Amino acid sequence: MDIGLFGQYLANGVMLGTMYALVAVGFTLFFGVLDVIKFSHGDVLMLGSFTGFTVYIGLLSLGIENPWVMIAAILVVSIITTAALGAIIARYLVLPLKSAPPLNILLITLMLGTAIREAVRLFYPDGSNPKAFPALLPTASVDLGGFALRADSVILVAAGIAVIIGLNLVINRTRLGLAIRAVAQDEETAKIMGINYTMIVLVTFAIGSGAAAFAGIMNGLYYNEVNFGMGLLLGLIGFCAAIIGGLGNIYGAILGGFLFAGLQTIGAVALPFASAYKDVFAFGVVIALMAWKPTGLIAERSSDRV
Amino acid sequence: MRISLPIRKSKAHIWGWIDTMSSIKIENVFTAYDKADVLMDVSLEVFSGKITCLLGSNGAGKSTLIRSILGLTPPRYGRILVDDKDITGTATHKVVAEGIACIPEGRKMFPKLTVTENLRLGAFQVTDESLIRERLDTVFTTFPRLAERRDQLAGTMSGGEQAMVSIGRGLMGGPRILLIDEPSLGLSPLYVKENFKIIEGIRDSGITVFLVEQNVRQTLAIADYGYVLSGGRVVAQGTADALKEDEEVYAAYFG
Repeated sequence: MDIGLFGQYLANGVMLGTMYALVAVGFTLFFGVLDVIKFSHGDVLMLGSFTGFTVYIGLLSLGIENPWVMIAAILVVSIITTAALGAIIARYLVLPLKSAPPLNILLITLMLGTAIREAVRLFYPDGSNPKAFPALLPTASVDLGGFALRADSVILVAAGIAVIIGLNLVINRTRLGLAIRAVAQDEETAKIMGINYTMIVLVTFAIGSGAAAFAGIMNGLYYNEVNFGMGLLLGLIGFCAAIIGGLGNIYGAILGGFLFAGLQTIGAVALPFASAYKDVFAFGVVIALMAWKPTGLIAERSSDRV
Repeated sequence: MRISLPIRKSKAHIWGWIDTMSSIKIENVFTAYDKADVLMDVSLEVFSGKITCLLGSNGAGKSTLIRSILGLTPPRYGRILVDDKDITGTATHKVVAEGIACIPEGRKMFPKLTVTENLRLGAFQVTDESLIRERLDTVFTTFPRLAERRDQLAGTMSGGEQAMVSIGRGLMGGPRILLIDEPSLGLSPLYVKENFKIIEGIRDSGITVFLVEQNVRQTLAIADYGYVLSGGRVVAQGTADALKEDEEVYAAYFG
């Protein structure tokens, strides 16, 4: 393979890995604090993308066309809306079911995800068709020996990685993060320490959902498209990445995200005539990995939970 | 080991609360888990500035009473007053905000957090960073072994060391009332002896102590007043000296 093509694959893989990691971190945070799997995560991400798209349409109609102003507004509104939705889901659907069997939470969030997806399809204007998400970032590129590295890709990856690092710092270096880790390890003792448990759960769901919205906007800016079904695959891949990394472990989730993107890339390279099978290849490898290491690549006992 | 915890008399400014009345009154409390009644009409008082102990065998309902005070398992009936303020059924973090801390049964470390992080969690509601640092220093001076291991994960330490972290953590918030649940559980006799000396030191520094224990003799040796709980009811009470002579105490265990 020539170096230009290799560069292209690598850049694409890093981009996807960053998005997957952002989604996986949410799964891992939710599982960390509440021991629940929230299956509506991918559809919450999709809603974040559509919120961003709506903000774009709104700004256009107001005559605001500066791309940086647009991006800032899209990110702020989308992240805040999605974070609020995450907290509301935690408060009214997940926490009340805490003493119910875990399957019930799984089911209720699965149904909620479907409801969100169908609602967007039916009620968003022309919601069943993909929307052209604008390319707001500069598309200038440098030629690196047959491979064009585009400025927008670099900016997206850099921003995504900055968000991942930021999340890590919040979890590992702040008072809020200490409370989140304490709740993840021992809910009851955390309460005895004077931590407002409900508040920490809501904030954690808000953070995880906000990260998903960021991934959703990244996805829109990269592929220049959003559609009502985009959360299905992204959610599944994010969940998968979190599981590979050992659910509950934030570094594992990040690693899992990049690993999955790596597998897809390898699949695309190995099957050049049929790159549409790259997901089949990646999921196949993950299935084999799970059969081999049922508790994830990073076992929980050897690493921090959350 | 010299015991000088937590030095509220000499350094009152870092622990606060000094000279305040700090009592708990439990009035006719009934607590149950699902359908199993555990506490039946329990009334008792935790006296300001004293060690009040609650003795009883396994399953007598001692830990349940602590859980009721902390709001973890709120009572079905009855009232819990702290300095005449009704805290019955209040959320746990609000009970802690009243100046109540707990050293829970089995020490309950956060195993994957460091010693320092565990201690800092004890001061979670304290926002003054310099105050937290001062208290950390005091804990590390009292337990030099923790100072050496401040960055070690708490789960990797011995039971005795975890007990030190748990005691230090209970004091980090500068409580005026400290609930201590079975501090002798699972510790060697030497550590038990040390811990009881520390508990006396805590009382002498002005913190009100509610000590829940199975270990009758050593508990009565340091307590001022005591209650005996059996089958969810208070079956005896009195000064520690009187209880030492009381047949009921032993009946509650062996009868």
